[in-house]
Amino acid sequence: MSTDAQDADDAEDELRERVTNFLRRNFPQIQMHGGSAAIQHIDIETGEVSIQLGGACSGCGISPMTIQAIKSRMVKDIPEITKVHADTGMEGMGGEGAEGGHGGGMEPSFPGETTDDGADGRDEGPQAPF
Amino acid sequence: MADFDPEKFEDKYANYFTELQRAYKNAFETMNERFDSELVHAIDQQVLNESEPFYEDGGFRIELPDDPADRVTAIVVDDGKIEATLDRYVEEIEGELRSVFGLNDGDEPKV
Repeated sequence: MSTDAQDADDAEDELRERVTNFLRRNFPQIQMHGGSAAIQHIDIETGEVSIQLGGACSGCGISPMTIQAIKSRMVKDIPEITKVHADTGMEGMGGEGAEGGHGGGMEPSFPGETTDDGADGRDEGPQAPF
Repeated sequence: MADFDPEKFEDKYANYFTELQRAYKNAFETMNERFDSELVHAIDQQVLNESEPFYEDGGFRIELPDDPADRVTAIVVDDGKIEATLDRYVEEIEGELRSVFGLNDGDEPKV
């Protein structure tokens, strides 16, 4: 019946996971700085993936460079990925909350907050040197 | 400090990611303090997100996407102002890159 579709789903899940792991491994700074990277869409046929950087990444001075770095490195690291679309969702710009107070911007605001590692993931976690 | 190696800069996002982050962050903060913050944010997110730094002939060059002023849609501002601010922003990034990599004359390297 629909085993093909099933296979495609599995392949997509697997690729999704590899992309997530790639981001976690190579760009821990995103999370350390209170940002997030979400896979919005992934197409295993064309090898295109869309990623949205959110949280503190919108309006952060290093996100453009980070986006370029993700684009450049992911296609090398994951051969199945041929094209990366990434953005920071500009519509968030007007609603930045504390007006201007964003100034300092990049301080890693919650270094200890690693809730999803559960049990013993306590003493790992590299700290940003800046 | 890691010595700057132009060849390694060809794979900059793997070899010099931390340094690039620092340079971009410093440039952003300087621009944000001195110029219209909304415009700086818009340039940052809508123009620089498609830019790339290169090292050539002993200096850094930031390659920008085509028609950069047209890309700034997040705020309404005249093209001349966008271009002037963008030029200044690019200079700032280039200066920060030289500084981060210790390539300014008499500059103490920051990394």
